[in-house]
Amino acid sequence: MKNNMISKEDLEHLAQISRINLTENELEKFPKQLDKTIEYIDILKELALDDSVKLDLPELRFEELRKDEINMSDDMRLSKNITEDGFLRGPKMK
Amino acid sequence: MTNLKDLLAHEVVVGLTEGQFSAEEYVISILKRIEEVESKVHSFITLDSEGALSSAKILDKKLREKEEIGQLAGVVVGIKDNISTQGIRTTCASRILEKYVPTYDATVIKNLKENGAIILGKLNLDEFGMGSTTEYSRYQPTHNPWNLDYVPGGSSGGSGAAVAAGECTVALGSDTGGSIRCPSSFCSVVGLKPTYGRVSRYGLISYANSLEQIGPICRSVKDLVMMLNIISGKDRMDSTSMSSSPITVSNKSNNLNVAIIKELITDSDPEVTKSVYGASEKFREIGCSCEEVSINNLNYALPSYYTLASAEASSNLARYDNLRYGFDYPIEEYKWETYFSNVRESFGEEVKRRILIGSYVLSSGYYGKYYLKARRLRSLLRLELLTLFKKYDLLIGPTMPILPFKFGEKIDDPIKMYLVDINTVLANLAGIPAISLPIGFSNGLPIGLQIMAAPFEEQKLLDASYELEKVINIQRVPNSI
Repeated sequence: MKNNMISKEDLEHLAQISRINLTENELEKFPKQLDKTIEYIDILKELALDDSVKLDLPELRFEELRKDEINMSDDMRLSKNITEDGFLRGPKMK
Repeated sequence: MTNLKDLLAHEVVVGLTEGQFSAEEYVISILKRIEEVESKVHSFITLDSEGALSSAKILDKKLREKEEIGQLAGVVVGIKDNISTQGIRTTCASRILEKYVPTYDATVIKNLKENGAIILGKLNLDEFGMGSTTEYSRYQPTHNPWNLDYVPGGSSGGSGAAVAAGECTVALGSDTGGSIRCPSSFCSVVGLKPTYGRVSRYGLISYANSLEQIGPICRSVKDLVMMLNIISGKDRMDSTSMSSSPITVSNKSNNLNVAIIKELITDSDPEVTKSVYGASEKFREIGCSCEEVSINNLNYALPSYYTLASAEASSNLARYDNLRYGFDYPIEEYKWETYFSNVRESFGEEVKRRILIGSYVLSSGYYGKYYLKARRLRSLLRLELLTLFKKYDLLIGPTMPILPFKFGEKIDDPIKMYLVDINTVLANLAGIPAISLPIGFSNGLPIGLQIMAAPFEEQKLLDASYELEKVINIQRVPNSI
């Protein structure tokens, strides 16, 4: 497990790529909590699964995709006189 | 006559159609009930009394003028606050959406309204559906109506508690890893996670798209069938939705082959195990066979679930930049990146942990080790279950491995909290339908039975549930709150 330990620097990197500021309190307690979670999901490495097991779920099929046709929105506000020269007119910026 | 507020959905429709009471009288009885108990239960985030009363008046007018009123006429529905409702604030119990008022209805809401149902308000949940107790709501936690010191389960805890406490006739929840079944089990009500694709997800605010479904929480199987039939179906706004045959309520569950999943029993609380074995006897009483089976890779299900759910969450929640909808936060003095990160500090701790774990399992070097492995394991589990369903009609086990617990017991240990979901995530990973049906109590705390079926085999699932419900006959509403 040791090689998985999340240091404070690792956490700061993860927070940066996730675009989240962490509070001092979180910076303090998250490394230990995330370590435990990663240790828990690490059991997946015992599984010897290769490409023969497909990524897509077996026997899951969806019906045909609909045609890409233009339909009027159900939203009445969009259909009521707010188009101008083929564009939608938004509210004025304050 | 039974007190109006205690009526089941099908009784409301009959009573209203036969003129025994008006929709307005019924809604008033529910609002009175809310006044009595809401300060103890805290199910609601937003209560729309005015909207509900005005819908009731419209319905009464239609009745007087003998117009079509719909199959759910007068049924008062509480909605989990992650399902979009036009004109009613939809917060996901998060600060980041505290002022968000959707401009459109989710497809399920549209269907309910078209069938005469009355939308009463928005129910509490763990922030974005991430949790099993409602303790992660940014508002206050919901309390279990059976014992107010205990959690109601989650994440649809507001929905489970409101139905059990009689604060609405029925409710909608959403289930990503057990979020409908957990509170149904803890609050002694019936809750169904439908087959993936049976119900449109359009308007459900995304947490983990490949796992979640909207479903009903009710006080009877018959009510649940009524709700399910209205919300099911192919929707042009959700390309993963599929058409399905309507469910009928009937006694035809004889001769079904049922199997108890051994691994789900092994580590359960002894009281829960006892109840589940008791229920398996009841299956035999109604003419089904019942034996035990094993599932090979079950111990990998929960780690796989948390890998996939967190990965999808980290991607889905990246959209919350506070610019298009959010709370007041001046943009002056900030550069784009700092602004983005600063406002996202307002996510709750659990949401942050899951986004961080999601970023971790998706990052280079770990993607193959965790994310792809979890995807493959998921395929393997589905394959194994599809094979089992060739031999058995239904698979059963406890919905929750434990009894409801007190507030604060697991809040500081994420893994302890995650383990609560160990029995329920299987159905989400495999995309199969699963119900939680009340089967008993231990020291006044509810126990639920989970029944699973093959994809789109809800008819079998509900036939058995309907009959079992009659044989077991469990109390659905607590005597006093």
